[in-house]
Amino acid sequence: MKEQWRLLNTGHNNAFVNMALDNAILSANREGKVPPTVRFYGWTPSAISIGYFQSLNEEVDIEQCKNFGVDYVRRITGGGAVFHEKEVTYSIVVPESHPSMPKNILKSYSRICGAIIKGLDKLDIKSKYVPINDIIANGKKISGNAQTRKENTVLQHGTIITDVDVEKMFSLLKVSNEKIKDKLIEDVKQRVTSIKHVIGKEPLFDDVANALKVGFEEEFDVDLVKGEITEFEKKLAKSYEYARFSKEEWNFRR
Amino acid sequence: MKANSTYKVPQGKLLKISLEYNENKELIDKISIMGDFFAYPEESIELLEKELKNVSLNENILSKKIQSIIQKYDIQFIGLDCEGLVKGIMMCLK
Repeated sequence: MKEQWRLLNTGHNNAFVNMALDNAILSANREGKVPPTVRFYGWTPSAISIGYFQSLNEEVDIEQCKNFGVDYVRRITGGGAVFHEKEVTYSIVVPESHPSMPKNILKSYSRICGAIIKGLDKLDIKSKYVPINDIIANGKKISGNAQTRKENTVLQHGTIITDVDVEKMFSLLKVSNEKIKDKLIEDVKQRVTSIKHVIGKEPLFDDVANALKVGFEEEFDVDLVKGEITEFEKKLAKSYEYARFSKEEWNFRR
Repeated sequence: MKANSTYKVPQGKLLKISLEYNENKELIDKISIMGDFFAYPEESIELLEKELKNVSLNENILSKKIQSIIQKYDIQFIGLDCEGLVKGIMMCLK
């Protein structure tokens, strides 16, 4: 019998809840209270997440976010600013000691991205991993990923873009040089794609999540069994939400 | 003195440095190391920033100091390295 991991589909939540849940699953797994877990989720309202090392004021137009009703949050993972709107987001939490998880960080990016690539393949999208943390289809980025490791536990989360509005994204993100903003927008349009763009229609969230589920099962040779967030995780997530992710001290700390 | 720099690390990520320094003695007073790179463990970046206070803005001294801090805290960078950090910091002085 194959090893069983937990599958969570937590649907759409706000940015603080989403980041708190990933953090809570990481902590619960680290304490041995929950099995390795794959989670799928979305963002309502739309949100921008920034990498742990980024400056919120430097990367994000806070006033514009407020105008558009877009949330902003700092992740516990490194990497860049991401505008989360039409996408399926995944997270995977696995002990570092798991035999399927390479010790080498870049190799583990490649391994986990392998699950996404297999999942996209189910949607008839051919894609490949491009180090450090991207997956490309037709030469353009379709997925960005970020990983952290805390006390011997791996958390990687990432986005699979289902549709993208580059103009809206750039109205919310700051650019270093306003004079070349139009050119940057054109560059990004050339470099970023989406499932809708590749297959010609915007997919349903659940269809993408189901395809990715199979991708994870194949890549890691496990069965993903539908489960729920535990009470322990719910409590932990609440505390992370209020004490960390929704706090100005956290989000504006750099 | 305050200065900023933005430096694209070759084959790596975008590093943004915000630096406050003592011009006469050419020492770092305060530094923020920002960008879309990865560092493990993440919290080590704050330790690195603290340990760089009062370090000379001399390329060799800075490089040796950063290397020793990376070893001390066993920091693993992805998309950034010691050389990139030194370049980004020294760019603030130009």
